[in-house]
Amino acid sequence: MAAFARRLLGSSRSLLWWRGPTSINPGAIAARPFSNAVTTTAREEKRLRLSDYGRYVEENLPKFVQQTQVTHNNELEVLIHPEGLIPVLTFLRDHHNSQFRQLQDIAALDIPKNVYRFELVYNLLSVTFNSRIRVRTYTDELTPIDSVVPLFNSAIWAEREAWDMYGVFFANHPDLRRILTDYGFEGHPLRKDFPLSGYVEVRYDDEVKRVVCEPIELTQEFRKFDLSSPWEQFPTHRKYPQIEDKGEDSDNE
Amino acid sequence: MASGGVKRTTALVGYAVVPNAREVLCGLYTKTLSALQKLPKEAAYRRNTERIVQQRLQIVQSETHVPAIEDKIGCGQVEELIDQANRELELVGKMEEWRPWEQPIADPPPGQWSWP
Repeated sequence: MAAFARRLLGSSRSLLWWRGPTSINPGAIAARPFSNAVTTTAREEKRLRLSDYGRYVEENLPKFVQQTQVTHNNELEVLIHPEGLIPVLTFLRDHHNSQFRQLQDIAALDIPKNVYRFELVYNLLSVTFNSRIRVRTYTDELTPIDSVVPLFNSAIWAEREAWDMYGVFFANHPDLRRILTDYGFEGHPLRKDFPLSGYVEVRYDDEVKRVVCEPIELTQEFRKFDLSSPWEQFPTHRKYPQIEDKGEDSDNE
Repeated sequence: MASGGVKRTTALVGYAVVPNAREVLCGLYTKTLSALQKLPKEAAYRRNTERIVQQRLQIVQSETHVPAIEDKIGCGQVEELIDQANRELELVGKMEEWRPWEQPIADPPPGQWSWP
C-alpha cells in the first residue's frame, strides 16, 4: 500500500516537474499548478500579437482597409474595399513585416440580402513568420473584381472555381473557364437562387443507345421544405428587441 | 561559414549563393530609403518601412561577417534578406502610385460585415 502511495506521489511530482520547464510563464504555473494556464496564456499572447498586427495593417493602408478583427479561434481577418484588393495583397506579400507569400485558397459566400451579394475570402500563409491571415472583400454579379493571378499563380484555379460556382467575374484573369461542372453546364450551382435539383438530368436512353440530357422531371412537382427551427440560433446577433404578445391590442389592430 | 570557408549552398530551392551579399544588401537598403523620400512624411507606410530598413542597414553596415548579420537581423539567410529587400523596393514604387495613406475610399454597405 505504501509503495502504491509512493508511486502515486512520485508520478504526480514528476508530472509537475515536467510541466514546469515546458511552460511559457513559470510563475503562473507555480501559483495554479493544476489549471490549464499554459494554454490560456499562449492563446492570449497569440491573440494580442494578431490584433497588434491587424492594427499595423490598418495603420499602413487606411485607404483600403475597413476593419480588422481576430475571430474567437485566433484567426486574423482584414476586411477591405474591393478596389484595394491588389494593393492590400501586394502589401501583405512584399512588405518586410508580412511576407505572406502563399495564397492557400479563395472562398466565396452568397448572401442575397446584402447590397453586394458575394463575399470573397482570401487565405494567405506566411512561411517566414509561421502565420496566417484572411482577407475578405465583396462584389456582386455585375461588378468585376481584379484577378490576383499576377500576384499568386495559385489563384488561377481558385478563381476559376469561384467563377464556376458563384459567377463572380474576375477581370484580367488569363483563362476564366468553368472548372468543376460538366461540358455545356449552365448556371452557377452554389448560388442561393440555384434550385437544389438543378435544371437538367442525364440518363442512358435504351432506344437511342446513348446518354441523353433532358429537362428535369420530378415525380413530386413541389415539396415545401420547412427548415425553420423552434430554437433561437444566434441570440447574440439579434437585430430587434422581441415584440411582446399583447393579446387584446393586437386583435383591435 | 563560421570557420571562414566558402558558402556552397543555401539549401533552399531558388536561392543561389550571393558572394557579395553585404554590398548588395547595402545598395538595396539605400535605394529603398531614397525611394521612400518620394512618399509624404506623414504616411504611416513610409515611417514604418523607414524604421525597418534603417535598422537593417545599420546592422549590415556595422557587421562585416555574414553570419553575424544573419543572427542580428534574425529573418533568414542573407540570400532571403536580399529577396525581401528587392520585394520591398518594388513595393515602394507601387505604393507611390496607389497612395494608401489617403482617406478611406468608401464605408462598407450597411450590414456587410455583420453575421448573420
